[in-house]
Amino acid sequence: MTFTGLVGRICLYPLELIIKTCVALRIHPNVLTFVGVLINILAAWALGLGKFVLAGVIMLVANIFDYIDGKVAHEMNAVSAFGGFWDSVIDRFSDLALFIGLIYLYSSLHRTEYVIVTALAMMFAIMTSYTRARAESLIKKCKVGFMERPERIVLFMIGAFTNRMAAVMWVILVLSVFTVADRIIYTYRELRDAPKQAIA
Amino acid sequence: MKPDTPVPLRVLWNAFFWTYERATWQYDLMVIAILAFVWLTPPDWLNDPMASGSGPVGWLLERLRP
Repeated sequence: MTFTGLVGRICLYPLELIIKTCVALRIHPNVLTFVGVLINILAAWALGLGKFVLAGVIMLVANIFDYIDGKVAHEMNAVSAFGGFWDSVIDRFSDLALFIGLIYLYSSLHRTEYVIVTALAMMFAIMTSYTRARAESLIKKCKVGFMERPERIVLFMIGAFTNRMAAVMWVILVLSVFTVADRIIYTYRELRDAPKQAIA
Repeated sequence: MKPDTPVPLRVLWNAFFWTYERATWQYDLMVIAILAFVWLTPPDWLNDPMASGSGPVGWLLERLRP
């Protein structure tokens, strides 16, 4: 087993307990998704004030909600097309909130260069999701590129807990640029090789 | 990518054009590289607005300085 696989398995045990509790209480997964974004806005507020450890703790709680909503939907047989759409849309708001919190912090510190770095990281993080969504309206699957949402969230938490947010912003920026490029290249190749499958 | 491409170029291309799943050894390697950059790069080198100091790399370089 790989290191990241082991970490995933260890984290799964407490999460399964929370999922079972939510199912027992019949909490609708869409409500969990919405609670997740509200908590993420709180985390953004803490980031904006430069309270990184507090922000890290809040992000941890928010992302528990983020992770379990889909699992709870499965357990409750409440999986729906709207639930998937709602989850994706709300996730974008959560992403944007965290970046805006940091942009506010860096602008209040008059650090224009990091305002730009964070704004660019935000732009490419959103484009990462957009390129996949748009690609998958043309081709079957477009799951290439490293920097997806779970990686971004874990990096945000690492940056917050260890006060290394500047380095984290650089990593998110560079790898998000690569991810967007990967998805464009992959989609181009897929459409080129199977032109008849392309839909306008 | 052509089959006769040199290994270093192939490694670089595979790191850029990422197609590996999570929980693979390639993924672990990437995670290690990212964590090394985040934790070992001195905040001063990046002009970090919220952290300062030379970090573990700076500490090591200072020890190695004659």
